Amino acid sequence: MAPRPLQAAKVEGEPEIYETQNVHAIYDDIAAHFSSTRYKPWPIIANFLSSLTTGWVGLDSGTGNGKYLPLPLDRPGDVWTIGLDRSKNLLQIARKAGANGVVREVLVGNVLDNPWRPGVFDYAISIATIHHLSTHERRRSAVKRLLESVSPDHGRVLIYVWAIEQDELSKRRVVSEDDIPSLTGKDVVVPWVLSKELSSAEKSLSDGGPQEPQVYNRYYHMFAQGELRGLVIEAAAELGLQVASKPEDVPKNTRGVEIVHDGWERSNYYVELKLW
Amino acid sequence: MVRLLTHNILACHAKDCNTNNFPLEFKDVQLEIREAEFNPEFLKGFLPKLEWKALVDTAIQLGDTSLPLEQPEMLDDEFLKNLHHVLLEIHVEEGSMTCPNCKHVYPISNGIPNMLLAEHEIG
Ligand SMILES: [Zn+2]
Repeated sequence: MAPRPLQAAKVEGEPEIYETQNVHAIYDDIAAHFSSTRYKPWPIIANFLSSLTTGWVGLDSGTGNGKYLPLPLDRPGDVWTIGLDRSKNLLQIARKAGANGVVREVLVGNVLDNPWRPGVFDYAISIATIHHLSTHERRRSAVKRLLESVSPDHGRVLIYVWAIEQDELSKRRVVSEDDIPSLTGKDVVVPWVLSKELSSAEKSLSDGGPQEPQVYNRYYHMFAQGELRGLVIEAAAELGLQVASKPEDVPKNTRGVEIVHDGWERSNYYVELKLW
Repeated sequence: MVRLLTHNILACHAKDCNTNNFPLEFKDVQLEIREAEFNPEFLKGFLPKLEWKALVDTAIQLGDTSLPLEQPEMLDDEFLKNLHHVLLEIHVEEGSMTCPNCKHVYPISNGIPNMLLAEHEIG
């Protein structure tokens, strides 16, 4: 099947309200179906979580169905990841993520807020979340919140967002051949087709005949090459952080963030950061 | 879930509420005790980051008096087991958390705290 180009999104009105209607409400509706398709942790993220020091506590900002909360699987309980999400229905699933009936720590919250002691976390991850924010400023604020949430001495951060450059295996294609590659990304809506079995049974009964599958259009900002790195640099500047690796002698009153890795993997851009 | 591990991390984030905004105060709580796997190495690593007084006060408020008022220097097994129980086995299922400063109430339902603020309360 040829990849289908995605429809462009038209972001209108207050971004907060736009996101409530075009992201949050949808995830609440599709939670169970969405979760059933999201169970495989991505290797770079799994490796990041495996590399954490025992005793560390972290934040998964936009945890969704909580699939990263049980990691690392080879040494369970050595770190604790607390999951935050806007969707209560996804959090009901996230609190039971993983095997053995272990209960996870989750909270309802906004990725633009910081309802914790500043710098209290040792690490933070934000996977497939920031691309649901509908303005550049809001995406930058989300990066700032992550940098503020972790320890200024050793905090580690991993961010994943959707890329314009999609994998060959992906069913989707955003940039058509005659499109000029963009520096500022692209706003699109991505359809989610809720299969009939998972739509409400009552509804299909009352409607009589066969029910059309319900299609939800979720808002996404697809990141251009270099855009995520750019957001980190802007966010760091606003927080007075130098973007560099840690110098041997840190000058007084100097703080910074090192970009440990950044790259593209399987239709996503990612960046790993370390504070000093 | 709100275990005391998480409670020790959360603080009020309402607009202009920056001092005396921790620890949030539990009200009308329903507790559940669930056994969790004992991991002393995790506890030793997490201990330096804990706000000890907030933890002890909150545990006492919830009816657990097993922790010493001062953090001990010797981390023996008995202490670590008590700490494990307080941090990871007491679940607040229902109730709320109130900010000691601005009195904002964060509800807890089905074991999940709601830390969202209304538009006008956001800083
Ligand atoms: Zn407050």
